[in-house]
Amino acid sequence: MARPPLTDAELIDRYGPHLNQAPPGGWNAGIEFDRVVDTHCCFCGQQCGIKLKVHDNEVVGFEPWYDFPFNEGKLCPKGVKRYLQGSHPDRVVYPMERDETAPGGFRRVSWDHALDRVVSEIRRIQDAYGPDSFAMLSGVSLTNEKSYLIGKFARLALHTANLDYNGRYCMVSAGAGNKKALGIDRASNPWSDIPLADVVWTAGTNIAETFPITTSYIWKARDRGARLIVQDPRVVPHARTADLFLPVRPGTDSALFGAVLHELIRHDWLDHDFIDAHTNDFDQAAAAVADMAPAWAADITGVPRARIEQAAEWWGTSATGMLLHARGIEQQSKGVDNVLGAINLGLATGKFGKPGCGVTTITGQGNGQGGREHGHKCDQLPGNRDITNPEHRAHVASVWGCDVDEIPGKGIPALEIIEAIHAGEIKGLLSICFNPLVSSPDSNFTREALDRLEFYSVIDFFVSESGHHADVILPGSLHEEDEGTSTSGEGRIIKINAAVEPPGEARRDWEILVDLADRLGSGHYFPYTDTHQIFEELRLASAGGTADYRGATWERIEAEHGLFWPIPEEGHPGTPRLYEGGRFYHPDGRAKFHAVPYRLPGEVVDADYPVWLTTGRVVSQYLSGTQTRRIAALVAQYPEPLCEMHPQLAERVGVADGDLVTVTSRRGTITLPAHVVATIRPDTVFIPYHWPGDKAANQLTQRVVDPTSKMPEFKVSAVRVEPAGGRVTTTDVRDFDLQGGAT
Amino acid sequence: MFMIPHRHDAAALDRRGVAWGLVGVAVTLAITFVGSDGLLWFDAALIGYLFGIIFMVFGVIYRYSVWVRRPSTAMLNRRGWDAFRQRKARNAAALPSLVATQLLAQGFIRRRSRARWLAHQLVFWGCILAGLITFPLTMGLLHFESVGQQGDRYQVFVSRVGTMSFDADSVLGWTIYHGLDIAAVLVLAGVFIFLRRRLRDPGALAVERSGDFLALAGLFAVSVTGLFLTVSSIWLEGRFYAALNTLHALTVILGLMYIPFGKLFHIFQRPGNLGVAYYKRANAEGPAAVCRRCGDGFASAQQIADLQAILPQLGFDYDAADGVGSYQDTCPKCRRAQLALAQSARVGGFG
Amino acid sequence: MNVDARYGIDDAPVFVIDQSRCIGCEACVQACMECGTHRGQSLIHLERIDRAATTQTAPMVCMHCEDPTCAQVCPADAIKQTEGGIVQSALKPRCIGCSNCVLACPFGVPKYMAEIDQMMKCDMCTDRTSEGLKPMCASVCPSEALWYGTIDEFRENRTGSLLRDFMFGRQEVRTKVYTVVDELAAGPIDVMRGQAASWLDDPFALESGGT
Repeated sequence: MARPPLTDAELIDRYGPHLNQAPPGGWNAGIEFDRVVDTHCCFCGQQCGIKLKVHDNEVVGFEPWYDFPFNEGKLCPKGVKRYLQGSHPDRVVYPMERDETAPGGFRRVSWDHALDRVVSEIRRIQDAYGPDSFAMLSGVSLTNEKSYLIGKFARLALHTANLDYNGRYCMVSAGAGNKKALGIDRASNPWSDIPLADVVWTAGTNIAETFPITTSYIWKARDRGARLIVQDPRVVPHARTADLFLPVRPGTDSALFGAVLHELIRHDWLDHDFIDAHTNDFDQAAAAVADMAPAWAADITGVPRARIEQAAEWWGTSATGMLLHARGIEQQSKGVDNVLGAINLGLATGKFGKPGCGVTTITGQGNGQGGREHGHKCDQLPGNRDITNPEHRAHVASVWGCDVDEIPGKGIPALEIIEAIHAGEIKGLLSICFNPLVSSPDSNFTREALDRLEFYSVIDFFVSESGHHADVILPGSLHEEDEGTSTSGEGRIIKINAAVEPPGEARRDWEILVDLADRLGSGHYFPYTDTHQIFEELRLASAGGTADYRGATWERIEAEHGLFWPIPEEGHPGTPRLYEGGRFYHPDGRAKFHAVPYRLPGEVVDADYPVWLTTGRVVSQYLSGTQTRRIAALVAQYPEPLCEMHPQLAERVGVADGDLVTVTSRRGTITLPAHVVATIRPDTVFIPYHWPGDKAANQLTQRVVDPTSKMPEFKVSAVRVEPAGGRVTTTDVRDFDLQGGAT
Repeated sequence: MFMIPHRHDAAALDRRGVAWGLVGVAVTLAITFVGSDGLLWFDAALIGYLFGIIFMVFGVIYRYSVWVRRPSTAMLNRRGWDAFRQRKARNAAALPSLVATQLLAQGFIRRRSRARWLAHQLVFWGCILAGLITFPLTMGLLHFESVGQQGDRYQVFVSRVGTMSFDADSVLGWTIYHGLDIAAVLVLAGVFIFLRRRLRDPGALAVERSGDFLALAGLFAVSVTGLFLTVSSIWLEGRFYAALNTLHALTVILGLMYIPFGKLFHIFQRPGNLGVAYYKRANAEGPAAVCRRCGDGFASAQQIADLQAILPQLGFDYDAADGVGSYQDTCPKCRRAQLALAQSARVGGFG
Repeated sequence: MNVDARYGIDDAPVFVIDQSRCIGCEACVQACMECGTHRGQSLIHLERIDRAATTQTAPMVCMHCEDPTCAQVCPADAIKQTEGGIVQSALKPRCIGCSNCVLACPFGVPKYMAEIDQMMKCDMCTDRTSEGLKPMCASVCPSEALWYGTIDEFRENRTGSLLRDFMFGRQEVRTKVYTVVDELAAGPIDVMRGQAASWLDDPFALESGGT
C-alpha cells in the first residue's frame, strides 16, 4: 500500500522541504571549529575538493581546498552552500512506518521493527510472486563502496535480477557509446588536457550551470588562442563567448555530427594513418554519411550550413581538439547514436590518446563515473563486467565466495522497472537515494506506479517526494557522514572522508544494508565492519575488468590527490589519459567506427503540439532537489521553474515576460511564468526539472528510451504553449542581492 | 593607521575651531563659577577632573566645528535643518520617538546582533549615569548637605537650591552613594561582552582598529579603578585609598581628554542620524532622480543634486566628456553594467 | 585558522576582476556571505547586463580607489582606508545611513542595509587577506573572473594586461584592484563609452533566414 498517507501539502508541512537559512548557531555565532576535514563536494561529477569545518559533530562551514589539483579551491554556489545540508531540521533521524492515523502520516518505530517489517515484506512478496517481483533502485551519488555493496546486496541478499540505478537517467548513453566504440567507459582525458586543445567543442552541455569549474579549463584554452564551438539550442552562458555557435534543434545532433563527418571526408581532413592503424569499420561510418551534406543537415538541425562547414574545417584542420558532451546529446532516444557520431569525429581526425585530444562525456551525478562501474546497473558486475558473460560471472562469484548460479541474470533498467511496477509485475521496491517522482519522465505515470506497489521502503536522509509513498523509511547517511571513495568525471578515484557521525538514530547506508542482508539470511556474504573492507573487496572484484581498481589503495588515493583507473596493480601510476599510442580497449586494441544513420526523435512537433520542449538544470539546484531545495540561499537563487522562450514565440503565443503560460504535452501539463529571452531557439522552450508536483517539468516528458542504453528522452518532447492568464511581477528570480540591501 | 587625507583638510590649526573651542571653555568655566556659587561649593580636590572636562569641551567643540564644515557634512547639516523646518510641527512631534528609537533604544544595533546591542546598551547607560553624576559634582553644581540632628540624613543641592533629602541608610541613599559603582558595573559588563565577541570572532578581529581596543581599555580602566575606591573604603578601611584615588583621577582625566580624538567622538556625531532621517523623509516626498542610461528612478533628485554640488568642492569632476550631464546621473546598477561592457569591449574573445 | 596562509607580505598579491569571463553562477555571491567580517551578508554584486537579450553577467567587488569618492562624500567621516589601501565598510558607530556613498561611488559598490541603517561594502575579505589567504569570492570563482594572486602568477596563467585606471566622464580614478584589457595603449577604461555589444551576432541566424 504505497500511497502517501496524507496530502502532499500535509507531508511537506511535516517533512519539508524547509529551508536551512544559516549555519548551526546562526551567522553571528562566530566561526569556531575543532577540525577541518578534507573531502569533496557531493553535488556533481566533478567532485571538487573542499574542506569542511566541524564543531561538535556539526559541519559549521567550509574552507576552499587550494591544493586539490582539479579545482584549486574553486567551487560553484552548490559547493559553497553544500555544508548547510547537514544539521537540517528536515533530517530523518529515526525509522518511520506509514500510519495514516499518526500525526504526519508516519509513526516512529525501532530499527528492529523497521528492518523486520522490510524483511518480512520482501519474503512475502518474493514467496508469492517470485524473486524478481521485488526490485531495487539506487542512486549514483553514493560512494564506490556503497555502489558495489548495493550490487552485491541485490544479487546475494535480495536475490533479485531487478536492480538498476538513476545513472540510467544520466550517464548510460555515454557509457554505451564509449563501450561500443572504444571498449571502455570512462572520460578519455584528464581535464588538464582541455587547455591544450586548439579547438574546444562543447555539445549539449551547459558548462556554466552544470559543470561550472570546467569553465576555467575552457578559458585557459581560450587564453592559449583556442577556438570555441558551442552546440546547443540555447545561448548558454559560455556560448556567449563562442567563436562558432551551432544552435541545434533538439533531437537532431546526430545529423549535425553526420554532416561534419561528411565534410571531413569530402575535404579529406582525415588522419588516414590513425584510421588505418587503430580503427575498424571506417567505411561503414563513411557510407552512412555519404548523403548527409551540410545543406541537408542545415534543414534538419536548423544550424546554418556555413556554420556546419566552418565547424568541420576547424575540427578537421586543427592539430589538437577536444569535444566535450553531456546530457544534451545523451538524454535522447538517439543518445547512443549521438555519442557514436561524436566519437566518429574524434577517430576520423586521430584526436584520441594525445595531449589536448579527446572526445569525452562530462559525467553529471556526484559519483556518476564510479557508480556506473561496479555492479549496480541491471546488466553489470564489478569492474564494469557483463552479468551475462560466464567468465565475468565466474570471476565475481569467486570473489564473493558464492556459487555462480546464485548470481541472478540480467535485470531490467530503471524506467522499465517503473513500468513493470505500473503493470503489476513488480510488487515491492527498495530504493536508496533515488527520487523517481521528480527525476523519471512522465511523472504522472510514475505516481500511478508508486501507488500500485504492495510494499515500498526507502533509505534516505530526507523524506523526498517519492518517500511520501513509502511504507517504511530508513534514515540513512549524508555524504559527509561516511567514508569511502568516489570517481570523478575525469576517471580520478578520490577519497571521501567522514566529517561527522549520522545524527540521532540515523545509520550509515552500508550498515543498514549489511543488517538487512543478515536478516535476509545472507549475512555470511557481508562480513564488513567498515567501508575500507568493502573497498578492498571491490579492488579484487574489479581486477581484470575494464574498470580495474586493483592497484588503488586508500593511502595512495589520499596522498596523490586521486588516482586515475585503470590501475591494474599496486605501484601502477594510474592512467590519466586513455588510448595513448592508439591502444583502445576492444580485444584487438582498435577503436570501432559506427554507422550512424539519421532517424527522428521519439516525438516530433505537429499542428497540435508545435513547439519543442527541452529540459535541464540550473546552477543552484542538484538533480531532484532533495538536498538543494532545502538550502535557503540556493533556493533564493532560482526559486521556481520558468519557461524560457524566444520573443518571437512569446509574440505568437501572445504573452510577455512574466505572464503565466500553460505548457501541454501528450502526457501532462504545467503552468509557470514565461521567461522571454532571445537566447533560445524560437521553436523551442526550456524548463528546468528540479521541482516536484505541479511544478515538475517531467509531467511533460515521454517514456521513449534509447534502444541500446534505455536512456529516456528528457531532451526532446513536443508541446503546446498557451497563455494561462495572470502573471508574476518579475522573472528576475535571481535576486542577486540575496541579503537585501538597496542597489 | 587608517587615514584618508581629505582634500579640504588644512594641515594648520583651524582658527574657527579654536575660537569656538575657546568659547566653549569660557562657557564651561562660567557655568562652574556661577553654578558653584562663586566656587563656594567647588571641591578643590576635583580640580584635575575639571581640567579634563575643559580639555574635553575644547577638543570636542574644535573637532565638531571642523567636521561640520566639511562640504558633505555641511550640506547634510543644512539640508537636515531645512527638512526639519519645512514641516516644523510634524517634525517636532516626531522628534521624541526618533530620539527614543534611534538614539536611546538603538534598534539598528539590535538588528545586527543582540549581544552587541546588549553590550552597547550597558556601556551607553553606564556612561550616561556616570556623566550625570561626575560632571555636576566636578563643576560644583551639585553637593550634599547634612540635615537634621542624627547626621544620617542628607539633602541634595543643585547649586544653591535644595532639593530632595534622603536617609543615608535607605535604599535611595545607598543608590545615590553607589551611583558611580552601578555605572561602573554596567560599563564593565558591556565591555566584557564586547571583548568576548572580539576575541571569539576572527572576522571582528580582522577589522579591529587600535582605537576600538583603546576605547574599551579606557572604559575598563576608569570603571575598575573607580570600583577599587569603593572596595578600599568599605573593606580595606581606606588602605591604598590615596594612591587609588590618584590612579582613578588619572584614568578619568585621560579618558575625558581622549573623547574628542577617539572612537567615543561618535557620541557627538551620531545625532546627525536624526538630520538624515528628516532629510530622507523630505526627499522621499520630492521627485526622483532618473538614470541617464535605463531611465528608471533610482534616488531622490534632491540628494543627487546635493551630491553633485559637493563633488566639485571635493575636487571631483564627473561631468560627461561632452559636457552634457554627469556620470553621476547613472544609477548604481547601470554603473556596474556599463563598466562591465566597457571592460569587455577591451578584451577580445570574451566580450 | 589552521588553514595554511598562501601569501606573505613580500608576495604583494593583487586582486584582479575580469568581468568579461563571468558566467553568472553566483558562487561569489554565495561565498561572500561566508566572509568572516560580514557573515550572512553578501556584499558583492552580480549584474545581469540585459537578460532579455543576452546571458552576459558581471560581478562587481569594491575596486578600492586610491582616493575613494565614497569616503570623500561621507558626512560622518565613517569610511576609512587601511595602510594597504583597503577601503573598509563604514565604521559602525559613525555611519548615519545617509547613502551618499552608495550614490556617489562610480563603480556602484556600497550597499545601504536598511535593516541596520548602515552602509556595508566589500572589504576584500580583510579577515582572510590579512592572513595571506585569498578572498572568498576570488577563491571560489569557477571562471576566474575574480582572481587573486601575485602579478607573476597572473602572467604565468593568463593573457591580457593589468590595468587600474578608469575614466568616468572627465573623472579619472585609479584603484587598487586591477582589471584586464588586451592593450594598455588605449588608456584608462572609458566607462561612459560602455555600450551593449554582442559577441554572438544573430546566434539563431534569424536575419539570414536560418541558412
